[in-house]
Amino acid sequence: MRKAALILILLLLICFSLVAWLQPRYETRTSVATSGNVLADLLGDGRKMVADYFYVQADVYFHSGYYPSVFDQARQQEESDSDVAHPEEGNSQEENGFMGKPLDWIERFSRRFEPSVHTHLEGKKIGEILPWMKLSTDLDPNRIQTYVVTAYWLRKRLGKSAEAEDFLRSGLKANPHSPDLLYALGQIYLQDRKDYPHAKNLFLAALRCWHDVEDPKPLKTETGEEVRNTLLLEQILGGLAEEEAAAGRLDQALRYLEQLKANASDPAGVQQQIDKMKARINAEKK
Amino acid sequence: MNKIFAVAAVVIKELYRRKDFYVLFILTALITGLMWLMNFFHDEQIVRFIKEICLMLIWVCSLVIAVTTAARQIPAERESRTIFPLLAKPITRWQVMVGKFLGCWLATGVALLVFYIFVALVSASREHTLSVDAYFQAFWLHWQMLGIVIAMTMLGSVTLSVAANMTIIFIVSIGILVMGGFLHKLAERMTEPSASLLTAIYFIIPHLELFNMRELIIHDWTGANLPRWTDVLGDTVYGLAYSAFFLIAACLVFRRKALN
Amino acid sequence: MNAVLRTENLRVEYRSRELKQQTKVALAGLNLSVQTGEVFGFLGPNGAGKTTTMNVLLGYVNATAGAAYLFDVNVREPIARQRIGYLPELTYYYKFLTAEELLRFYARIFEIPKAETEARIDQLLKLVELEHARKRPIRTYSKGMQQRAGIAQALINNPDLLLLDEPTSGLDPLGRMKVREIIQRLKNEGKTVFFSSHELGEVETICDRVAILHQGELKVQGRVDDLVKEHQCNLEQVFLKVVGYQPQQS
Repeated sequence: MRKAALILILLLLICFSLVAWLQPRYETRTSVATSGNVLADLLGDGRKMVADYFYVQADVYFHSGYYPSVFDQARQQEESDSDVAHPEEGNSQEENGFMGKPLDWIERFSRRFEPSVHTHLEGKKIGEILPWMKLSTDLDPNRIQTYVVTAYWLRKRLGKSAEAEDFLRSGLKANPHSPDLLYALGQIYLQDRKDYPHAKNLFLAALRCWHDVEDPKPLKTETGEEVRNTLLLEQILGGLAEEEAAAGRLDQALRYLEQLKANASDPAGVQQQIDKMKARINAEKK
Repeated sequence: MNKIFAVAAVVIKELYRRKDFYVLFILTALITGLMWLMNFFHDEQIVRFIKEICLMLIWVCSLVIAVTTAARQIPAERESRTIFPLLAKPITRWQVMVGKFLGCWLATGVALLVFYIFVALVSASREHTLSVDAYFQAFWLHWQMLGIVIAMTMLGSVTLSVAANMTIIFIVSIGILVMGGFLHKLAERMTEPSASLLTAIYFIIPHLELFNMRELIIHDWTGANLPRWTDVLGDTVYGLAYSAFFLIAACLVFRRKALN
Repeated sequence: MNAVLRTENLRVEYRSRELKQQTKVALAGLNLSVQTGEVFGFLGPNGAGKTTTMNVLLGYVNATAGAAYLFDVNVREPIARQRIGYLPELTYYYKFLTAEELLRFYARIFEIPKAETEARIDQLLKLVELEHARKRPIRTYSKGMQQRAGIAQALINNPDLLLLDEPTSGLDPLGRMKVREIIQRLKNEGKTVFFSSHELGEVETICDRVAILHQGELKVQGRVDDLVKEHQCNLEQVFLKVVGYQPQQS
């Protein structure tokens, strides 16, 4: 009995030593690092799928449970294509709501036990989406959009600028060269903190990162699909212009507006802003 | 009826003397407590997430309690040979079957009530309101759904082994809850004869998802947004019809079954 | 005198996959009759058909042909079992119930009024000497205690006919004596006892009449005294003669 116990202990020691010796070699070879999150470690690469699901769940919560299933979404797409093909027949999506007409009595009956009114969360209730957003980023820290959207709601609806900043910074740790996150952070410093120098630094960093990330990409694909994220460039340039104007440097603001006009999808709208800025400059000179 | 209630009373005693319910309830309470303690951006008002997790656990636990309790009733009686002294009394096999069903259903109903009171208290403590109507409707319909599942399990218990029965019932129940409402939409995208077969299955299966009011509870749909009481009654009749169907089938099979 | 237990050409056949769908005749036209107030021994070697007969009488198994009656009610009717008590050979009862709860449950099946139930439970637990353990779950009982609980449940409805399947099997001499005492007491009260047993010495002592079954057929039925006198030997030797046992010549 004693002999068996000793052999068992020896085997355990050998196994433990082997694991301790092999683990760092394995990590180096496969560049696998544990995220520190139990759920992420358990799910492996499947975590991105789960992160996407959690993001959708946040949207479900935003709509208080009234949300299309994958079948409803497919049907929506088909009806939308049909509306495009036959515009004279009217907009079927508007007529039936996203759920469409029930196919049979069972489906008709089941809708009485589900949310059936299209609503959005209002006021402080918007906080209900936060757990899903947080979980989504925990599982997939590279999901930039989640950080940006969460920060927006935290700032605009819940008045939690500090939390929004912390969240964006945690996103930046995982995505250090993300122009979206830098821009969003710049917005906090510009609009909430009124810390213009800090905001400017962030917007300029966002601009540099945008050029590094987006410039190598073509403008559009062969089929005409947009590739380069020009909307973000517009936002950054707009942010810079706003910052310069707020800081009293109107000439610099005007220069950024000119750059914005050159890249804008709606140059006429930007021209109006330029005209207003010029009028303001002239008024100050007088 | 007295005999049926006598058998039901023994089933209820068995459930609350076994540890299953207490373990599952404590597990649910612990996990809910952990969710409660989680801090999301220092927002103390977040409650829907907790309700969702809690209700999901309740549905899983109630299904486990219902299926495991019902699945072992008749097989355990046969295996332990307690069926012999029981049937030596002036009681028929169908009375035993109905008594077992009633006992399982009432026992899981009591367990379910405790779970729902728990989730109602958890949510009321953060929301500072409580829609009794909504919670009652949700509990009631959930209980009807468990009646169908228990009746299915009882039918399985007289034809299959305990393990096979439990596995099949879990798969079928969860499958119906998740996919049952979409089978006809799937059928639309298939070719014949698969489309017809799927459509037939869609109309034959008991639609357990009709009893699922979780979304309404989670997202605080109250008042006029709740199902009408006539709809709840209709749903109850639907549930009782399927329960009766499976129970009658179980009685018919059990009537002809050898006891050893 | 009316027969409390009666079988008429009772035939039971089994067909199973184990027997490769062949038919096994467990009982071949059994005609049995037990009168009121007698202690009747039902004997036979293993596989003779005793358990099958019991199973038919208790409604567990349906006869292939013929009929069986308890108090002139066909055994297929549940009401036929209203006035009987049954003690199985192997005592298995709900382990999570106490003896008291078990008796209360069975009393409810018999639809005995509550006040009478409580009085009878007290009386029976005293009779079988389980008063000290009435609140303990049956899983904590010894085999002897379980057997005694079994006797109590068999008597809960104050039955007119008691069916006992190997009642002294597995009991120590003290336990056997107590069972014999109970059977004698029941007989004195005018009850009818029908039991199967391999303990021929016991059967000879307490039974009024016996029936010996072999390979599904009734070989002999009659008063113990008459059989012993007729064959000029004890009951064990009668049994061996009837079942066709030939002692090996050394």
